Amino acid sequence: MTASPVSVPTSDVDVFASDVLADPYDAYRSLRDAGPAVHLTSHPVWFLGRYADVRAALADWETFTSAQGVALTDDMNAPMLGGVLATDPPEHGVLRAVLSEKMAPRALAKLRGDIAERADALVADVVARGSFDAVTDLAQALPVDVVADLIGLPQEGRDKLLPGADATFASFGPLDERMMARMPVFMDYMGYMQSVSERSVLAPGSWGAAVWEAVDAGRIPAETAGPLLTAYLVAGMDTTVAAIASYVRFLAEDPELFALLKADPALIGGGFEEALRIESPVQGFFRNTTRDVDIDGVVVPAGSRVLLSNGSADRDERHYPDPDRFDVHRNPVDHLAFGYATHGCAGQGLARIEARALIESLLRRVDRIEPAGEPVRHEHPVVRGLERLPVTVVPTAGA
Amino acid sequence: MLVQADRDKCEGHGLCADVAPEVFELDDDAVVVLRHVQVPPELERKAEAGARVCPVAALRVAT
Repeated sequence: MTASPVSVPTSDVDVFASDVLADPYDAYRSLRDAGPAVHLTSHPVWFLGRYADVRAALADWETFTSAQGVALTDDMNAPMLGGVLATDPPEHGVLRAVLSEKMAPRALAKLRGDIAERADALVADVVARGSFDAVTDLAQALPVDVVADLIGLPQEGRDKLLPGADATFASFGPLDERMMARMPVFMDYMGYMQSVSERSVLAPGSWGAAVWEAVDAGRIPAETAGPLLTAYLVAGMDTTVAAIASYVRFLAEDPELFALLKADPALIGGGFEEALRIESPVQGFFRNTTRDVDIDGVVVPAGSRVLLSNGSADRDERHYPDPDRFDVHRNPVDHLAFGYATHGCAGQGLARIEARALIESLLRRVDRIEPAGEPVRHEHPVVRGLERLPVTVVPTAGA
Repeated sequence: MLVQADRDKCEGHGLCADVAPEVFELDDDAVVVLRHVQVPPELERKAEAGARVCPVAALRVAT
């Protein structure tokens, strides 16, 4: 029996075009409506944007392998091969275990108090100024310091972390003139990461030192230490910043939401999940198919590169009713902003602690937060975040 | 309905216990513990929801 020919959904939408990156959600909807898997003509890639399909693909590492890299281009996949992002089980599990035993929530419990104190000091400082940029003065200040201390990095050179992580994630997208403009920063960061991956540079007792202890204990090969440290040095910087800034933006633009959370701080956690859902910091990573795979009736051939769009999946009306609305009561804990399954974000517990600490402190210390100018979007092919978010705050009465 | 937990995969994110505390809890090492292996009918929806939100796919339900 011969299968009847099925027309392959195709689209000329370029999900990396500047105007689409500025506001990708209409494009995502059109791609979701075009089919469960859509062959893009703008780049050699298939787009998966429906929640159920993206989730299933993330869980099926045997069909959607990460071992050929999770970037769009072969050139940029090459340097990541063998690292924790670009391996499948069982290799992946061995590498991830070294990270997760430090970053799993059980290990983070003792950090909570320290992070809350740092967050509160930072918030006190910006609130005293009255007006500030919630991206550069608030959202960027906490994660970089916290993560750098945990990794055990020297003070010198920490200014490279944010732009370096930004450029590294950008390298997962098209190798075009915009990436070329980031290339000097990217190359410089490669050098920086190599230099701080030296055992002697990392503070004793740090997460970084623990990677070398895993080498000494024979748990992981020595050549994987550098790539593992790279994961620490890239994953938890601009992503966390984007998530926090996006949450602050919702609070600034919706006084009712702010008042609701201030009156009931128990909603802060669910609000963060909703902020993550509606503006997923990582909009998507790539996979490669190892066999012909039927996605809800559309066959994606073996050897295809596939963009798993977390950003689209988290706005899929097939899964989330009224998906473009921020609903603080939705508590969408099944969102895909952190990915899912094998490569689900190992640092998501830390991100939650950082974000909640900052927002809790902000809600305690101010009665109102208001926009003080138009937010400026940061153009980036993978990480959806803001460049600037000017705000004004009214300190809590009587505080 | 049966619930299965892969304790090697569990990283202790605790979302299952937030969503379905009647079915899932974390032990002192923050590893998931099942309060029911055989889930009573009235908790089936809860068990499914709790298993679903595991970020590392360490939980499964089978009917």
